[in-house]
Amino acid sequence: MRIVRKAQAGTLQSSDLMVFLEPADDLRIEIESTVKKQFEHLIRRQIETILNKHRIVSGQIRISDRGALDYAIAARLETGISRACRQGEQ
Amino acid sequence: MIVRLYSNRDLLQARRLLESQELCFEENYDVLFGIFESGELIATAARDRNIFKMLCIREDYQGGPYLGELLTELLNSGAYTECQSFFLFTKPEYRYSFQQYNFFPLVNHFKVCLMEYGNGLNKYLADHRELVKPGDNGAVIVNCNPFTLGHLYLIETAAAQVDHLYVFVVREDRSIFPFDIRYRLVCEGTAHLQNVSILDTSEYAISGVTFPGYFLKQDEDLQLLQMELDLVLFSKRIAPFFQIKKRFIGTEPYCRTTRIYSETMQRVLPAFGLETIQLQRKHIQQQVISAFRVREALKNEAYETLNNLVPETTLRFLRSDAAREIRNRLLSYQRRH
Repeated sequence: MRIVRKAQAGTLQSSDLMVFLEPADDLRIEIESTVKKQFEHLIRRQIETILNKHRIVSGQIRISDRGALDYAIAARLETGISRACRQGEQ
Repeated sequence: MIVRLYSNRDLLQARRLLESQELCFEENYDVLFGIFESGELIATAARDRNIFKMLCIREDYQGGPYLGELLTELLNSGAYTECQSFFLFTKPEYRYSFQQYNFFPLVNHFKVCLMEYGNGLNKYLADHRELVKPGDNGAVIVNCNPFTLGHLYLIETAAAQVDHLYVFVVREDRSIFPFDIRYRLVCEGTAHLQNVSILDTSEYAISGVTFPGYFLKQDEDLQLLQMELDLVLFSKRIAPFFQIKKRFIGTEPYCRTTRIYSETMQRVLPAFGLETIQLQRKHIQQQVISAFRVREALKNEAYETLNNLVPETTLRFLRSDAAREIRNRLLSYQRRH
C-alpha cells in the first residue's frame, strides 16, 4: 500500500502512542518516546514489521510514544495506515 | 468527558477556572475544549492555529489522565490543518510535565519555557543542511514588504563583511505582499551576490508563535519577553547551526517595536558570543528608504519616486499585472509593516 494522505491515530495517554503519517518520496521513521533510551530499537523493529506487512516503502512516519506495548504500537500504526492509504488498495 | 465549549455559560466557567489559577482567558482561539466532572468544569485547553493555550486543570484533579486527554484532543483538532508542529508556553516548573508527553523545550527562559511537539526545528535545520558553509558567517532577518534598495544596501554591506550571509525572509504572512512574492523579490534582487543564501524563517524567528500573556502579571513587559525568547532561540539553535557569528540590522528611525527589538538584540546576543552590527540606513533625498515609503509611493502611483526606492527587479514586479491586486489592496491598508 502507499501512503497518499496525512493521517494520525492514537492518544497521548500513558502506555499509548500517537502515529503521524504523511506521504513522502522515501521512507522516514522518526521516534519520540519517553523510553527512547531503553526501547527505541524495539519500537523501530515493531514499526518496520508492520510496514513490511503492508508493503509500505515510502512515507514519513512519526511516532510519539509514551511507553506503549508491542500490540498497542501495531494497533495504532495499522489504524493510521488504513487512514493514510487509498481505500480498497492492497 | 471532553467537550467543546461554546455557550456563554461554559465560557464564563472557563474564565473563572482560568482566573482561579491566575491565568487569563484569551479571546483568540480556533477551538476551546473543556472537561466536566459532576456538572462542573474542571479543565480547559485551547488551540490557536499551532499554539496550545489556556491549558488549565483544577488543582484537585491534577496528576490524573486529564492532561493527556486535553493534549490528544488538541492534536486531533489540528490534524488536518497545515500545521507541522505545535507549540506551547509554560512556566519553567511545568516543563517536565510536558516533556512526559514528548513536548521538547525550544527555549528555556527563567520566566517561561517555549516547547514544541513534533520535530519541527530539527527538520527545518536538516532541510537546510546543504546551505551550511564553514566560516565566519552573518545573518539578516528581513520582512521585505517589498524588497527595496535599502534592503539591497543592507545585504550588500553585510555580505562584504562576512564569508557567507544568510538572508532569512519572514515566513509569517501578515504583510500586504504575500510570502512567496517577498521571497521571490529578495532572490531576484540579490541574485548577483555570490556569498548570499536566501531562506525562510519558518516558525522559528519573528513568527506568530507569539507570546500568550495569560500566565504573567499585567505589569510585566510581555513584548520584551517575547523578543528575548525569539532572540535566544536564534542565538542558541539557529546561529550555531549555520555558523553565524554576526547579525546585521538597520537603524530604525520610525517603528518603536523594531527599535526595541534592535536594543534587545544588542543585549541578548553577546551572551551567546554573537555580535550585533547596526548599519546606517540608506538615504535618498534626505529620507531613509523604507518599505513603508515604497508602499505609499505605490499607492499614489508615483512611479518616478519608486524608481529611486526599489531595484529594477522589484520595480518590474510592481508594474506588472500580477501586482494589480496588491495595488488595489494597498488603498485600504494602514499598517506600518
